[in-house]
Amino acid sequence: MQDFDIIETPENVGLQRRLAGIGSRFLAGLLDSLIIALMYLILFVILLSLGLLSTGLDANLADTAGMVLFAVLILVAFLIYWGYFVLFEAWLNGQTPGKRCLKIRVVQQEGAAVALDAIVVRNLLRVVDMQGGYAVAGVSMFVTRKIQRLGDLAAGTVVISEEIQDYAAQYDKKQKLYDSVAPAAPHLASTGIKPEEYRLLQNYWLRRHELDLDARKRLLPNLIGPILERMGTVPENQSLATLEKHLDELMRQARGTDSTVPSGETTTEEQA
Amino acid sequence: MTPARFLESRRTTWDRLEAIVTKATQGKLGNLTEDELRELTRLYPTVAVDVARARMYKIDPLIQQRLNQLAIAAHGLLYRRKSKPLLPAVWGFFRRDYPRLFRRLWPYMALATAIFAVSLMGAYVATRLAPANAYVFVPHGLDVGDSGPEVTSEDVSERFRQIPKPPMAAGIISNNISVALHAFALGITAGVGTCYVVLANAMMLGAFAAHFANHGLSYPFWSFIAPHGVLEIFAILVAAAAGLRLGLSLAIPGSLTRSASLRSGARDAVLLVLGTVPMFIIAGLIEGFITPAYIPGIIKIILGITVAALVITYLLVVGAEPKVSGQPTAGGST
Repeated sequence: MQDFDIIETPENVGLQRRLAGIGSRFLAGLLDSLIIALMYLILFVILLSLGLLSTGLDANLADTAGMVLFAVLILVAFLIYWGYFVLFEAWLNGQTPGKRCLKIRVVQQEGAAVALDAIVVRNLLRVVDMQGGYAVAGVSMFVTRKIQRLGDLAAGTVVISEEIQDYAAQYDKKQKLYDSVAPAAPHLASTGIKPEEYRLLQNYWLRRHELDLDARKRLLPNLIGPILERMGTVPENQSLATLEKHLDELMRQARGTDSTVPSGETTTEEQA
Repeated sequence: MTPARFLESRRTTWDRLEAIVTKATQGKLGNLTEDELRELTRLYPTVAVDVARARMYKIDPLIQQRLNQLAIAAHGLLYRRKSKPLLPAVWGFFRRDYPRLFRRLWPYMALATAIFAVSLMGAYVATRLAPANAYVFVPHGLDVGDSGPEVTSEDVSERFRQIPKPPMAAGIISNNISVALHAFALGITAGVGTCYVVLANAMMLGAFAAHFANHGLSYPFWSFIAPHGVLEIFAILVAAAAGLRLGLSLAIPGSLTRSASLRSGARDAVLLVLGTVPMFIIAGLIEGFITPAYIPGIIKIILGITVAALVITYLLVVGAEPKVSGQPTAGGST
């Protein structure tokens, strides 16, 4: 199990796509199940209300019409059960409403858009995958390298995540593709931090929630310690919280307190 | 070229491609004008190369990621199987491909039929020898006990008649298709699940048949079952053959890798099982409307067998494979 996958294009460039994790796929499935449940509820309400409406009608006519309608409802319920995922994935190019909410999509393993027969295979096999509350699917996704459930394995599909993991999103969600390369800290000179130090600090700041606490405690003093020493503002309290507060302050000064877009080339891991 | 120059020189291209990809939302190329389509095919390869260049220049990971995402989206728009209009595709499938597929996969059909026949006979003989065995083969929900010696075929049909016909047919059709789809899907257990479905259904039928025979009611029973049952059971066996194709492709991959074998098996199998849907619709309509109707039993039996024979003839005869040595036929192959 890994969270990315490389597809070789005919242009000989390996494009990297991110595979959807078990969590987001489960959530998408949950959403879809809720929508299906809602559809069944609506069918039930239609059935009930028509039963009530027909009481005034001629008994024979109401009977025949009611029976035909009942038959239609049975078929619709059947279609929802077997067809919901197939129809949506065919219509929305590998997405269902649930998958759309979580920004994930079914594609062929080789990278092409998902084909109709693959959609049918993966969704018919859903009845096996969903045994034990999708336990079968869970085990399969856990042990396969490309996070595939049985239906995916048979259909040759993977589910990818289309969400851009945007470390800078907290600063500016609407930034354009290339804007983030602009110098992010106009007041950097006034703080006495070197640009490469700034990048390092910024990378740490943006990704700190992905690191575990021990790593943060280990990393941050090394990163910020020399700078604070140089500035002569070494705090008494060397706790993580205090250091991070100092870090935040420094970065605000460098940016001139407004939230310009940050950037960084080096990652914290490489430096550590 | 510096990273900054690289970004500067390429940004308009990326913007343009991004605009086109965004316009083709949800992978529908139909939203694009002809010019935009041409532009898409022209721009995509250059952007794919930019992904590699961006990696080389080690530019901001975030930009790399977005560029990569953009290239993937464009790649997904361009590389796909050619899709045919739905109705001609379905027509072509049943006119030619489905009977061919059925004939190609006949060994699986034979295997499914053999399993079915053996377990049917086994349950029949066992129940004939010891009537109490019926309870072993039939789920508790279907109470065998209350159909005593006084039951006639008319009584059985009468129970059917009390249920309104349209919902009856709809219920039977959806139930049977569900059984078939399960028989197919359970094939993923290397065929074990499929065998179980076949076994359980065959034994139930055998036990029922023997139970009625024990009371001297064989004719009423078969005249009740046959009109719809022949086609229905045949279709279940086709679905089971699909499950076996899926399961054995996983269990015995031959010279392919296991996953490649599974994928090609699944493609065959899913088409085979989808072809049973019309069979179940026909059988369900017969079961819902004709089986309970006031028609002499013998006519019902003849009707049922004729319909099944027509379906089997269709599968064995239609869409003959072009001869390998001869001229290519107009219909083409593969």
